[in-house]
Amino acid sequence: MLSGILNSLAALMPAAEAGGDLLHPPKGAMLMLAVPVLTLVGVLACTICAVARVRTKLPAWISVACLAGAFGCVLATFLGYEGPRHAVGFEWIHLQWGGETPRGGGQVPIRALHANFGLYVDTLTLLWMLFVTGLATLIALYASEYMAGDVRTAGYSRFFVAFNLFVFSMSCLVMADNLLLLYLGWEGVGLCSYLLIGYFYKKPSAVAAAKKAFIVNRIGDLGLALGIMLIFVKFGTVEYATLLADSKFQGFLAAATAGDFASIPWDIQLIPALLMIGAFGKSAQFPLYVWLPDAMEGPTPVSALIHAATMVTAGVFLIARTFWVFQVSEYALPIVAWIGAITALLAATIGMAQFDIKRIMAYSTVSQLGYMFAGLGVMTSVGAAFHVFTHAFFKALLFLACGAVMHGFAGQLDLRKLSGVQKMPGWRIVGVTMLVGCLNLAGFPLLAGFWSKDMILAQAFAEPGYSAVGWVLLLTAGLTAYYTFRVYFRVFVGPQHFEPGDEVHGHDDAHGHGDHGHAHAEPAHDGHGHGDHAGHAHGSGGGQHGFHPHPPGWAINLVLVVLAIGAFAIIPLNFIGEHAGHGGWAADMVHHSTAGPLPAGAGHAAEGHGGGHAEHGTFLGMDPHKVMYYVSGVVGIVGIGIAFVLHLAGRTEAARSRADGLLPALGPIPGWAQHKWYVDEFYDFLIRTPLWVAAHLFHLVDKLIVDGLVNLFGFIPRALGKAIRPSQSGVLHGYALAMAGGVAFLLLIVLMAAL
Amino acid sequence: MALLALILVPLLFAGYVALRPEREAKSIALWGTLGALGISAWTLFDFDWGQSGVFQYAESFSWVDAIGLRLSVGADSVSLMLIALTAFLGPVCVLCSRTAITHRQRTFYAWLLVLQAAMTGVFAARDLVLFYVCFEFTLIPMWVLINLYGSTNRKKAATKFFLYTFTGSLIALAGLVYVVWFKWSVSQQWTFDLYELQRTAARMSSAEQAWVLLALLAGFAVKVPLFPVHTWLPLAHTEAPTAGSVILAGVLLKLGTYGIFRFALPFCPLAIGEYAPLIAGLSIVGIVYAGLVCWVQTDVKKLVAYSSVAHLGFCVLGMVALNDTGITGSILYMINHGLSTGALFVLIGMIYERYHTRSMDELGGLAARMPVWSSFMVFFTMASVGLPGLNGFVSEFLCLLGAFQASHEWAGTPGGTPGRLGFVYAAVAGTGMIVAAIYLLYMVGRVVFGPLVEPHGHGNGSGHGHGNGAAHGNGDAAALPRDLNWREIGTLLPLAIACVGLGVYPSPVIQGLRGPVATTVAVTKEGAAYKPPARADAKPPEVSR
Amino acid sequence: MMHLLAQANPPAPMHAVTLGHYLFVSAAMFAIGLIGFVSRRNLIIMFLCTELMFQAAGIALIAFSRFHLNHTGETFVIFVLTVAAAEAAMALALVVLLFRRRESLSGEEWASMKG
Repeated sequence: MLSGILNSLAALMPAAEAGGDLLHPPKGAMLMLAVPVLTLVGVLACTICAVARVRTKLPAWISVACLAGAFGCVLATFLGYEGPRHAVGFEWIHLQWGGETPRGGGQVPIRALHANFGLYVDTLTLLWMLFVTGLATLIALYASEYMAGDVRTAGYSRFFVAFNLFVFSMSCLVMADNLLLLYLGWEGVGLCSYLLIGYFYKKPSAVAAAKKAFIVNRIGDLGLALGIMLIFVKFGTVEYATLLADSKFQGFLAAATAGDFASIPWDIQLIPALLMIGAFGKSAQFPLYVWLPDAMEGPTPVSALIHAATMVTAGVFLIARTFWVFQVSEYALPIVAWIGAITALLAATIGMAQFDIKRIMAYSTVSQLGYMFAGLGVMTSVGAAFHVFTHAFFKALLFLACGAVMHGFAGQLDLRKLSGVQKMPGWRIVGVTMLVGCLNLAGFPLLAGFWSKDMILAQAFAEPGYSAVGWVLLLTAGLTAYYTFRVYFRVFVGPQHFEPGDEVHGHDDAHGHGDHGHAHAEPAHDGHGHGDHAGHAHGSGGGQHGFHPHPPGWAINLVLVVLAIGAFAIIPLNFIGEHAGHGGWAADMVHHSTAGPLPAGAGHAAEGHGGGHAEHGTFLGMDPHKVMYYVSGVVGIVGIGIAFVLHLAGRTEAARSRADGLLPALGPIPGWAQHKWYVDEFYDFLIRTPLWVAAHLFHLVDKLIVDGLVNLFGFIPRALGKAIRPSQSGVLHGYALAMAGGVAFLLLIVLMAAL
Repeated sequence: MALLALILVPLLFAGYVALRPEREAKSIALWGTLGALGISAWTLFDFDWGQSGVFQYAESFSWVDAIGLRLSVGADSVSLMLIALTAFLGPVCVLCSRTAITHRQRTFYAWLLVLQAAMTGVFAARDLVLFYVCFEFTLIPMWVLINLYGSTNRKKAATKFFLYTFTGSLIALAGLVYVVWFKWSVSQQWTFDLYELQRTAARMSSAEQAWVLLALLAGFAVKVPLFPVHTWLPLAHTEAPTAGSVILAGVLLKLGTYGIFRFALPFCPLAIGEYAPLIAGLSIVGIVYAGLVCWVQTDVKKLVAYSSVAHLGFCVLGMVALNDTGITGSILYMINHGLSTGALFVLIGMIYERYHTRSMDELGGLAARMPVWSSFMVFFTMASVGLPGLNGFVSEFLCLLGAFQASHEWAGTPGGTPGRLGFVYAAVAGTGMIVAAIYLLYMVGRVVFGPLVEPHGHGNGSGHGHGNGAAHGNGDAAALPRDLNWREIGTLLPLAIACVGLGVYPSPVIQGLRGPVATTVAVTKEGAAYKPPARADAKPPEVSR
Repeated sequence: MMHLLAQANPPAPMHAVTLGHYLFVSAAMFAIGLIGFVSRRNLIIMFLCTELMFQAAGIALIAFSRFHLNHTGETFVIFVLTVAAAEAAMALALVVLLFRRRESLSGEEWASMKG
């Protein structure tokens, strides 16, 4: 199979040179190019709507149409897929040097930095693009209703401009045929994330969160950029096809497969470390995860699409795309595995102690991304990609359900202030779909999330030396099930009770959106005419204060149902194809791409299935691939059970649960977890404050020392002038005397010389 | 003829402006700059891009024959592009001054046009003396613009700007004269022709080159401005009128980097190879240091001014990488920085016209009040941050990549070039990308986003009554609508289109730069190959010719 | 120069008038003028002293001219005299103006060029 991929890569290279002609595109190229083009059309059309002051839902429908079109193109490409394909839009950057040097400098080999706006589509790309465009279409539909409150302002068009731009950037990121175009998409999604998190730009917290997201991502981007530079320097190319087929690279791969890492230079081994930083930033992994929870300041559709389903998986995609590059380093994948495991556990513990349901979901996203990284680290790129795929569905579903709650309850997201929502009129669909999402996230047996999570867990135990990672992940699985159902049991079932949030989000443009937790000064206005006083029902009892939660309309419900069905529909995918039961269709997709296994599939490159393992880890002496189904299923159910006992069965009154009684027993730990282990404060102290101090210091230095020296130079002539100024008395006799004295002096000199 | 026309058209229009009545000044100036822009656009099409390294449109007139002084002009693709940048910013400057300059308009526009002619002359000159005369002459119009039309502290700023850069360039003159003298001592023939001088100058011993380089840098580094000699810039920018800032950031700073490219690199290739790490180090210090200083500014214009120091650090870093990637990136950076930072200054000028303040303490959340302005602001900020797809990225990436490549460490790799920079330099300079994001987003976060803050008396659309200093009349400014009008959008839109165009399809520009860049790289090859002596007693490699 | 100065020693009595005599007179006039200029405060006197120095220089020039048998010095003196005449007119006019301002002819009254 590998030789097949290599052959196709080799076949692509001349195509890369010959291609690039829009008039004679290779077969299917137009279809692939149509994806970014359609999204770009969406951007332009929505921009025109903004300029033309369109105050209807037109931008939403344009976006849905364009994104659906893009999804159709991806689907058509997928159905007609025959092998990796390459389509060149145009030459983006082409910097060539060498050759005959001017002025007779002799011949220098010709080198070039060559980055086309070119697309490389293999199965990995398609796997990603299918859910990116598919979910984007659905979420655009959802947003058409969710953002309806802003229809009468420019915000509606602005939202969809950024939304389409995001899908465009994401398609560049995923479909790029070179690392530089991937970088374009990489920063592009960062920009859209910035714009959308800061959508409610009047809210300082949203602006700060947007800024934080962009800056933290930039740290990762720097790593990625340096990695790309290093790749270019070492291999003279940034195109995947040329890079992976490079003979030197193949040599390193062979050495790595043989376990001979000593023969691989340090700088080659540095490449994955640098790329990894980029992946950690974008996918919110341990040192750089802090931006993602804050990113929940954005509108919920954005959180669902960008910060749960698609953009944050870009890091997983990067590692999967350059999976072979990661294998030439001895330490890269172990680091990835450990960072993933640590992130998964850390985020899960924080998620357990939060009260804002959207934030809980955000931490669960971080945690699940940790799973994916751990999966990549323990060499199951299949498991990671499969988990990305399933996670995209159920996490989007969870966010959208939370968004519906937020939408209906005036921005209320505190799980202590909502209860029994499912039984309220019009909320059944939201409740049921939420349950589907929660079960998937908790890894309830036989659901999609169960299968994908299981693959990673099993492989962690199967891969020798990673059983500690496996145990961490298994613990996290239990915690995940617990905090997921903590949300479900508290918010959706139990006695009916609610307190509306302090804002009627999205319906009052001058006001901004849900302000999670902290009070806003203005009283809420009910933009829907449900009553004249929304009030601050911060007392107890139900919502009998004139506020009626308004249940979601058809667009939101439709999207929720489709996603819930989708979450079920992807289960059978696990049981088709060559790798039935081990990722199934997704595994096939990954195997036939650059994220597939290495040549000569021995030891190091082993996948979780198939024979030929030199050594094989075990789970308590048993084959992890066989027992992990049961173990992880049990862990998930136990987690759910604990949540049931603590948060549903033990609830004496609506707002309190038995878990609150347990808290004192744990000492200060829950408080620490609730304060996110003080990581933000730590970063503030460690990085921001020193930088801030340095900035002020530099400012002073600039003013006093650097500019002071300049002023000193300006001061010297002035001081000299001042010193000799009194000699000019202005009295005629003084000058005359001086002149006479001068003449006498000169005369004296002449006479002395004469004598 | 095209180059002469590009110099003469603004001059003639300047004379015409001076002769006609005050009220016609701005339209005449607009036509003048548009005319120059048209000629410049024509040269871009007409230029023989296959021979981009050859000086085209060459003209030569005898001047002082006794010492071989000639008035000769000519443009290779680097000059051509920078002239095009100058011509492109001309109408922008005129348009953005339309309501900002309300008194002594004739003087303003006449000097603006003279300035444009002088800058074009710098880029077009092929004679050392002509270059230097134009280089120095740019100071006078700029001094007038700042001194007469600036804000409150304008006199001090103008004087400092003039004296600082003038002192620097006098030292540079000494270096240039030495090069001419060296040529004479070799060939017993006086010439000031650039090409002739380049051919002999490289024969100077490395010690001579080091001194010449020091002298040249004294002039050019001040102009750039490189780290420790940058302090005139924030002051001059803050006090200058909008058009002055645009020209200053857009073109005048580029005279320094252009000088380094045109003179320092070919005249002292050995020395620049030897001192590349030092110069690169200064640029990197500038990048990070100025970036952090930006972060604590409250004056928006000062922030952008300091950001120029940081940005131009990348430019110099790419230049001293002495490889094709770096130098190409550096030249692209000159153009891109001119566009995006120029646009930022225009935007800030628009705010200043409306609110008569640039303090971030008094401005905030303007997105609610001025959505169009805010969109442009975010756009150009992103271009300045170096977002891929916009112009800043290509040049910034190429500069960093150039520095990354230039290391003996990479000997034998397909992408490495000889040099003494490498990974660490690129990585530390790369932190500038993060710092840039910090300060620019800080600015956008305060001015564009957040709760609406406006100075007193501006909250409800009235109260434009007070001018600020003599330079700011309140005539037309009071009539400005809250958000941008079509004239202002028309000023910004070409810049935005250019930013997108150069970001999405920079390939032709990169290809077009290949000729001159390859020539420069070939000339500096031996410098790039310089390796410091391994031991204290080992002698540096002497190059004999 | 040395040679000329050597001749400027006090002339022996009863000899023909030599260059040295002229130069002595010239030097004496110049010295008187200089001392007068420095020591006197009256503007008119000071002005007359400058005229004295002028004429001293003139005598020296004519003496040299005669001694060397060419007319350059004499020509020069004509010019000097012309200039001195013009200058006298202007200077006296200035003095009158200054007197009107301060009712005084003292040179010390005027020090507005003080640094």
